[in-house]
Amino acid sequence: MDKFMDSDKLMSASEAISRFVKDGDSFVFANCLYCMPLALAHEIIRQKKKNLMVFQQGGIEEIDQLLESGVINRMVVAYNFRAGGKRLITPLDRALRQGRVVIEEMTNHTLLSMMKAGAMGYPFIPVLSGIRVTDVVKRKGFLGDQRFAEIKDPFTGKDVLVVKGYNPDFAIMHVQRADRAGNAQLWGAMINSKWAALAAKKVIVSAEQIVDTEVVMSSPHLTVVPAHKVCAVVECPWGAHPSEVAGHYDYDLPFRALFFGSASNEEASKAWLDEWVYNVADRQEYIEHYVERFGRDTLLRLKAKPFPSVPADYGFTFKSVWDEKGYSEDLGMDMKGFLKMLEDKGVLLDGD
Amino acid sequence: MGIKYTIDELIVSRASKEIKDREMVVIGQGIAMAAGVLAKKTHAPNSVILTEAGLLGIEPFKVPLHIADPSCTRGFTYSCDMIDIFTTVVNRGYADVAFLGVGQIDRYGNMNSSYIGNPENFEIRLTGAGGAPEFAGYSKRSVLTMKGGEFVEKLDYFTTPGYVNGGDTRFESGMPEGSGPSVLITTKGVFKFHEETKEMYLAGVHPGVKIDDVLSDIPWDMEVADNLETTPLPTEEELSIIRNFAPDITMGRKLVMEVLINQVMRLFYGQDNGS
Repeated sequence: MDKFMDSDKLMSASEAISRFVKDGDSFVFANCLYCMPLALAHEIIRQKKKNLMVFQQGGIEEIDQLLESGVINRMVVAYNFRAGGKRLITPLDRALRQGRVVIEEMTNHTLLSMMKAGAMGYPFIPVLSGIRVTDVVKRKGFLGDQRFAEIKDPFTGKDVLVVKGYNPDFAIMHVQRADRAGNAQLWGAMINSKWAALAAKKVIVSAEQIVDTEVVMSSPHLTVVPAHKVCAVVECPWGAHPSEVAGHYDYDLPFRALFFGSASNEEASKAWLDEWVYNVADRQEYIEHYVERFGRDTLLRLKAKPFPSVPADYGFTFKSVWDEKGYSEDLGMDMKGFLKMLEDKGVLLDGD
Repeated sequence: MGIKYTIDELIVSRASKEIKDREMVVIGQGIAMAAGVLAKKTHAPNSVILTEAGLLGIEPFKVPLHIADPSCTRGFTYSCDMIDIFTTVVNRGYADVAFLGVGQIDRYGNMNSSYIGNPENFEIRLTGAGGAPEFAGYSKRSVLTMKGGEFVEKLDYFTTPGYVNGGDTRFESGMPEGSGPSVLITTKGVFKFHEETKEMYLAGVHPGVKIDDVLSDIPWDMEVADNLETTPLPTEEELSIIRNFAPDITMGRKLVMEVLINQVMRLFYGQDNGS
């Protein structure tokens, strides 16, 4: 397994996607619903990557955008939002009917369990067996039998439903803050983030804010993905818009409605992609375009009010063995006495 | 003058009565969340609400757009993840009641939220399973609400287990003894499940709805309870809570879309349709 040990992985979204994403790769969204890595997803679309396979728990607009742009041809999914209820045809409906994508239906729990098993390096993991009666288990998609199986519990002899562990080629995720090495800190709704990111062979992280490693070291409980899993770090304010990020901004429902409104029509959704993905160079231009079209106030109405967490105090006495005078309370001697003791006890070896 | 309410308000009010105090309640968007909060603000102050996003002990200040949005995360007591919810909470038997919306339902309360039409050659793909199969499978009870869904003899796709083939088949399939859907609330009435056969029967009708009008939607001969309940009207207090907390629910989906489109026009195009 590749380990990413560089201390500075800061780069543009464009460089991150071109260096680390290959046509035909599988990938997982390491956020769902909340804090969506939409700037990174748009960069994948902009670079016209092809034949990707996606794992996603619950899509709002990103699955439809990846389908409409022809990026993905295989999807493993538990839920995909339907903005228009039953009345409107969605990009997913269209892509399935036209055979542009194959699908594997999962439940939230079993899809994430595939990731959890993969993250832990296990070949499979038990899930809640009662759902064996459903078509989710009984009907097979493109993964065939590489998904569910029934085995005997070696301790009780009962049949247990298990899912296979998966390790997607990469994960994309958006977080509140990360350091340059890639220690990624996320809070709010944790949903699938930890297991999806840890399942992947590498993680591309975008962050609202890049912080010094000291900030991470004062709040390690907020780190959901450690640096050695992360191949690229992208500084990306508004990187989850129109989804929401705690401490930064709310979701933008009227803006989402612009896409949902266009999504039922192939031409209109292509025009949406032209305007908000292909014709902007990056997330910064996207936001500038938003401000130009709708005004700064329309954007700033989303800005978060503070609701800070009480900081965790990681304090102790922090006494090291030797005090400032060179004396050790623990040992009852100073360095001179220490060396003499080693000499007297005969434990020092002679280098000559 | 009588009390005035929308059909969604009636459903929310009736559904909220399914929650008892001190219960652990699994909730999604929409009607379910409104019912949960209504119960918590009235007769069930010590109930604990959770969503599968890994949020436990939430106190939403408005109806969320989705199960992880800011209205759920402004102050909650336990931040875990989706695996933790399904395993340490649901699989261990802590979930008393789960709320689910219904697309298609059969006589044993099995549900479809995946495809309308033959999945190989479908008309539309609904949202998909999400968390419904395990929530309905492993919570002690589930409360089902249906607006715009349908009763069918055979599901187009079996997404979520109710009582499977009736009798004890649900429990023989591996789901906990005694668990299962307890009630279905639609725009016309209230349905429950026979204690032994587990078949659905008509238990109540909403004010002004005739029995025949309810039964005409059902493609099989459905039993009707001897002492049919009439759904109680929402109280002034309940309506005030719902309208303050969840005006979107009061309006219903169609009106919400209309209002949203007007809002889009006003915000982004500086136009006002005046409605």
